[in-house]
This record gives sequence, structure tokens and C-alpha cells, in this order.
Amino acid sequence: MRLRGSSIALTTETRKLENGLTVVLAPDRATPIVAVNLWYGVGSRNENVGRTGFAHLFEHMMFQGSEHVPKGHHFQLVEQAGGTVNASTWFDRTNYFETLPAHHLDLALWLESDRMGWLLPAMDQEKLDNQRDVVRNERQQRYDNQPYGDWDERMHALVFPHDHPYHHSVIGSMQDLARASLSDVEEFFRTYYRPNNAVLTLAGDFDPDSAFARVERYFGELPRGREPPPVPGKPELEPWIGRVSPARVTGQVPLPRVYLGARIPSFADPSYYAADMASSVLAAGRASRLYRRLVREQRIARDVVAFSLPLVTGRSLLACWITGFPGGDPDELEGALVRELEGLVDVRSEEIERVLALAETAHLRGLEHLSTRADHLSMQQMLFGDASRVNTEVDRLRAVTAEDVRAFAEAVLVPENRAVLTYVPGEVT
Amino acid sequence: MTGRRGEKPPHESRSAIESSPHVERATAPPPGPLQPFHLPEVRAGALPNGLALRSMERGQVPLVSARLVLAAGEISVPRERAGLAVLTGDSLQGGTARRSGVQLAEALESLGSALRVSVGWEAMSVEFTCLAERLDEMLSLLAEVVREPSFPDEEVERIRRQRLATIHQRRMEPDERADDELDRAIFAPDHPFHRSLAGTAEAVGSLGAADARTYAAASYGAAGGGFVLVGDIPRERVVELGERHFGEWLPNRSGAYPSFEAPASERRVVIVNRPGSVQSELRIGLPGPSRGHPDEVPLRVANLALGGSFTSRLNLSLRERHGFTYGARSGFAFRKRGGLFSISTAVQTDVTVAALGETMEVFRRFVEEGPSPVEMERSRDYLAGVFPLRMESTSQLADRLAELVIYGLPHDYHHRYRDEIRGVQIEGARAAVLAHLDPATCAVVLVGDADRIASGVSELGLGPLEVLDA
Repeated sequence: MRLRGSSIALTTETRKLENGLTVVLAPDRATPIVAVNLWYGVGSRNENVGRTGFAHLFEHMMFQGSEHVPKGHHFQLVEQAGGTVNASTWFDRTNYFETLPAHHLDLALWLESDRMGWLLPAMDQEKLDNQRDVVRNERQQRYDNQPYGDWDERMHALVFPHDHPYHHSVIGSMQDLARASLSDVEEFFRTYYRPNNAVLTLAGDFDPDSAFARVERYFGELPRGREPPPVPGKPELEPWIGRVSPARVTGQVPLPRVYLGARIPSFADPSYYAADMASSVLAAGRASRLYRRLVREQRIARDVVAFSLPLVTGRSLLACWITGFPGGDPDELEGALVRELEGLVDVRSEEIERVLALAETAHLRGLEHLSTRADHLSMQQMLFGDASRVNTEVDRLRAVTAEDVRAFAEAVLVPENRAVLTYVPGEVT
Repeated sequence: MTGRRGEKPPHESRSAIESSPHVERATAPPPGPLQPFHLPEVRAGALPNGLALRSMERGQVPLVSARLVLAAGEISVPRERAGLAVLTGDSLQGGTARRSGVQLAEALESLGSALRVSVGWEAMSVEFTCLAERLDEMLSLLAEVVREPSFPDEEVERIRRQRLATIHQRRMEPDERADDELDRAIFAPDHPFHRSLAGTAEAVGSLGAADARTYAAASYGAAGGGFVLVGDIPRERVVELGERHFGEWLPNRSGAYPSFEAPASERRVVIVNRPGSVQSELRIGLPGPSRGHPDEVPLRVANLALGGSFTSRLNLSLRERHGFTYGARSGFAFRKRGGLFSISTAVQTDVTVAALGETMEVFRRFVEEGPSPVEMERSRDYLAGVFPLRMESTSQLADRLAELVIYGLPHDYHHRYRDEIRGVQIEGARAAVLAHLDPATCAVVLVGDADRIASGVSELGLGPLEVLDA
């Protein structure tokens, strides 16, 4: 990995199989490791009302074996090869990834192609029931039994209306999942898990021509599918949330915490980067505004967080939170947080410079890991049709001026575009 | 399968693939020729004041990673001041003789980086990763922070309140509470591991800026410490940078590493009552051996089969067979002197008793039988094969070098590691398991709804049951 000036210069190449599978090749011979990363263009946004959580349950079913790979062997074979493997489901996509010693590249291609082509013969009711139990436990562990665990589910419901695909959480409703059947698995597979709805990225130690030939050998014969149906609901959104009542949750939380969410431009909109910059001015590092004012000076917050999500369906979300001390006044926390948001209109160029310096290092540090690198490449390819945008991601942030952030704060961080969610310690109500 | 509809299912077109001379789908493809992984050599040295130097030259990315390791861990802090090393470490960036905390943060972040201070049982580390061209400036700031900290009263007071809030939070996070209660159940009250690394509210509540200053003056210094650098830096430059930034630094008067009696363990079962919990956090644990113990590597290999991987016995049973949990695992914490073994999972409330019974059964059977030949082969292959993936980034390599200093390991430790893993024989692994894991003496901790689980847990007869309030 090299720098060209202050930009990253990763070598990438994109090719396509006849069945529509997009293949991104990013060779790097420095270490004998290869990362295999497969993005499918399906996520929780594609779920219909009453079917929430299914995309994620389906992701679990992808590890239950395929025609030539018995249940449990996917993990076992990769682990025995000295590799790591996992997957994740998000709003706009589902990704599957393996990182392994480079001489085991064929193993990963065989495993991924087998489940892309031959998943259904291995599906049965017992596996579905088992994974539904596993997912129920995942939800309980990460959302229901964890202080603040359901904040993002509540926040999405406040920021996005009922008919928007981001209204419901990725983990979804367990009542909906209870209705999921094997025929749903089959239909979902046929609809979305097609080569023409996927990007396969290889990053690491391989020869591009030889690797592409092998990809072709394993994936080439899978049939192209129909174009997936459009995302359900209404992705188009007004720029502002409108007036929403603040939500207050009293329960088993140790400390008061205030979350604030705002609708922001989509990740596909160039003005997204002003929002991203604003969130970093607010809370990236100890010289950030929230840390400096609320943690260091006013001492009402123990910690502060702010970030924007790279979502592309209509609009995206900027979220921040501050955690108070035992006995802290949540109204005081909220007032202080709002003042800092509104105060962004006086952002200075030194603050922008600071964020850029941090972003540059963080981006490079991420790309050092082949697994992260491959995932970034898949994302840029799937969302924008251009994997090499990884090299210029920081440049897009660099293009943001103080004036852009001011304009963003004035136009977007307005009272009509704020959803407030507060957790207060106390008896469960 | 349920009825098919829509397009022709892809698996019915298999004949096309079977006719292809290239693809053999029925079995996993064989690996290609092994490409050797070369770990650059560790360069070892020391400054005259005793500060160890460990570096690795690696020029693939324009980043460098540095660690300053100090013998200032929580282990040496007496119980009545538990949390002092962590409080002092956290307060370190409150300011220096030359600049305020805000000025320090601005200086660091304008260089695109930050200092991370982490305090463990045996050592403290101050570290950063930055663009190679900014190394010198970052090192100057690191040296300033460690050698000339000012610990302003109001900054230490602020950090103290944050520490207290964190300690309070740990009591209410079910997973952290379970970890902490397991430590209390395993280790006797006069053993440092009895308490959480974060310290106790009573002790931290009594500490102040003067304590931090005194502690830093006594414990921060070259003796027992080390300076680690990974990046595109020639050996001479490492020595030069070490001398420039830390050469004048005086040795601290830190004493010998403390020694503790091996805790006597007897079976206890503790339930922390958390009414309304939809899951129970479950821990099972025992005291374990130190880092560098001759059984360490055999135990690492054996544990992989019990609960150290996705396909381990515990995860396959509790998750993939029974659907009791999102995941179950086990592992050793090999510390400098003594350590611990634990099994962790979180299970649905209504299957807690069954899940605990099954976990104990899997654990007992594993200790009785030991890992099978197939499990041994898989475990060795995984641990040896995954090694390069743990050495990917500049920062990971710096962490590995810091371990050499913290645990006093030979500097070719990582270079020999894969051979050591491959050399573990089944007899050795079984003997190590029997020597260190006794299910009859383990402590059991559950954080969950006592009304719904206590009587069932008690009926399992695992030992005297104690129910605590959350």
C-alpha cells in the first residue's frame, strides 16, 4: 500500500463474469494472506412489512451448509486452513467474508460459490428452527438484555417514517421471524442471492489473471437471476424529520444518556461529507467540541459520541449521544447537546484540519487490514460502481470547507430535524 | 424442501458444472503451494538506564506504531487503593509541565493521531500509530506526557468522577458484572485478581491528584519498561530516537514483581439477581497458570477444541445443536503471575438450567476424554495457520513486541510460536488439561432473574448457592 501525494494508491481492477458477477481484484503481495469479501445487494431495507429481520436470519442460514458442504463444515474448513470467517447484515447490504493464508484461496471460492449456487438442497426445518433460536438469543444479548441496547432500533423508528425501509431495525421483530418458513428462505434466495446482485472482492496475495480464472471456474456456471424488485416502501424522504415528541425510556441503565438523531443527505450525495465532517468536529478526539466543552469544561458528560452512517436509500442518519453521571439531569444534558449542535455555525478551519488529519490516519489504518480493505472495495463497487473510489475517500472529506459545515448546520441541524431519545435509570416502566 | 416455484432452481443445472473438467464440487479443493510467511526479525537492545528497546523494520505501509511500556500495572497497588494505577494512567493526558490538556489534545490530533494509555494488571502502555513522517513530533509529545505530567487537581478530579461512573456502570452491565463476580468467586479477597481491574468505588472514591502524582513519581520510569517501534525505521534510528526521548530518563524505584499464594478454590455458585432479565449471563471459571508456563501452549491448543473457536464443543452444542445462545466460548487469561480459565455464554432465561447442565457436562466430558486426535489436528492447524493474520498491521506487530517486554518473553518467542504449536502432542495436551482444569472445583456465576432460575440451578447440585442483589 502506497501513498501518492497524500492519497492512497491501491491497485484495483474490476472485471465481470457473463452471469453478471462483478469481481474486484486488489493484489498486494506483501504478506501471504488473501481476503475474500462478497457483498450481496440485499439488506433489511428489502424486507416487507411483517417480515422484518428476515435478511439477517437468512444470513445465518447461509452457514448451515449447502449441497456439497455439510452443516458446520464452512467454519470448520476455514478454521482448519488457518482462516477467519464471518458475515454481517445491514440496512443496504449483506456481506460474507473470509481471510485466510493465500494458498487456500480456492477453498473460499468453493465455499462461497457452493452456497451461491446450491444452498437450497441443504435447507431443512430443523436448521431453520435452530437458527431462529440463535437469532432470538442474539437479539436478547445485544438489544434486550443490554443497557441502551435497543437505542438504534428506537432511533430509526423516530427518524424514518413507517413506510421508509430504514424505519425498522436490522435484527427485526421476533414475532415476524416466528412466521418465517422454508419457502421464504427459498424465495429470498432466488430473488437476491444471484451473481448479478453481488460483488466479489479479492484483496491480498494472488496473481490477478490466475485468481480471476479461478473465480470464473467456481462461479461462472451459476445462472444469472432476474433483476431484484425495487426496495419496498417509499425511499424518497423530506430533508427534515418534522416535529417529533422526545422519547424517554426509564429502565435498567446505569447512567442517564441522551441520544440525538438527524436526517442527513444520503451517502451517495456529495453533501453527505459535510454531515460527516460535522459529526467529527463534534466528537472525534479529545479536542472535539463535545469532549472539550461537555466532558472537560462543563463536566456534565462522562463520554460523547457522534457519527454519520453511510446509508444510501433516500436519506441517512447522523447520531450522537452523551452519557451523564449518576444523578445527572437529562434535560441539562439535552440542552447542552443541542447548544453544541447549533454552535456548529461558527466552525473554524483549524477544526476541519484536525478532523482531516485524524481521518487520513484512520483510513490508512483500516486499509492495513486486508479484510477491511476488501470490504471497502466491495462497498465502493456495489454502491457506486467504482472500487477505486477507496483511494479518494479522504479527498471527498478534504473537499469540505468550514463554509459547507456552517451551511449544513443551518440547513439540516434545525429543531424540525431532531429526534431526541433519553434513557433514565429507574424502575422499568 | 417445500414446493418450488418461479425460475428453475440453480441446482438443477448442475450437470453443466459436472461436465466441466475443472470443477470438482463434491470435495473441498486442495490447497495450493504454501507461501512462506516471513516475520521480520525483532531487534532487541537496551538504553543504559535500563529501558528495553524492541523494534521491527517493516516498510509496506507509510505508518509507524510506537509503545512505551512501563512497569506500572494495577497488580502492585494495594487493595485499599485499588484503581490507582488506572486512575493515574487515565489522568496522564490532563496536562504537562508545558501545556494544558486541551493544548495537548490539539497538538496530537493536528498530527492525525492520539495517545492511548492502557493500564493492565502487569504494565501500563502509552501508544500511538501515526504517519511515518510525523513520528518524531509524536514521540516528543509522548515523552513529554510520560516524563513531565502535571496532574492538575481539577483534571484528576474529573477523571476520578469518570472512573467512579465506569465502576458503577460495570455493576449494571450484565456481561461485565458476570466477569467481575467470577473473579470474586475464584480468587480469595486478599488476592489482587479478586477485584476488578477498574478498582473499587470505595478505594477510587478516596483518591486524589496528590495520589496520582506520588504514584507516577514512584512508578513511571525506565526500569522494567520498554520502548517499541514498528515501521520503516532502520535500527540505528530506533536507538537514536530512544536515546533522544528517553535516554535521560531516570530509573523508577519500582520493586520486584509481587508474588501471591495460589488461591484455594472450592466450588461456589453465585447468582446475581437481575429481575426481568430475558437472558442469564453464565460464567464458569478456575484459577489458571501464568504466561510462559510450560503448559501454556498445550492448553491453548486444547482450549480451541473446548471453546476457543466457532466449531468448538461448547459452541456447537449450546448454539448449533440446542439454540440456547448466540455463542459460547472458553479461554485462558495467562497473566504474568497466575491467571484464569473461564467459560462464558449468555442464554435465554427459560433454558438457563438446561444450558448450565449441558455446559458442565461438555466441560466434564472434555476434561475426562481430552481433545480427540482430529480436534488436535484441527486446533494445531488453525493456531499455526491464523498466525500471519494476527501479524497484519503495524499496530498488531507493536502489540506483539510489547508483550515481549511485559511478560519477559525471549525476543524470538513469536518466531518460534508456530513450531511450538505444531509440536504439541495429544498426550501433552491431555495431561495439561487434567493438571489445570478440575470441573469439581470451578466457580459458577449467573447474572439473571433469580426467581426464575435459582431453584433449578440449586437442583443441579453444583455447590453451595449464594444469591446477591444486583
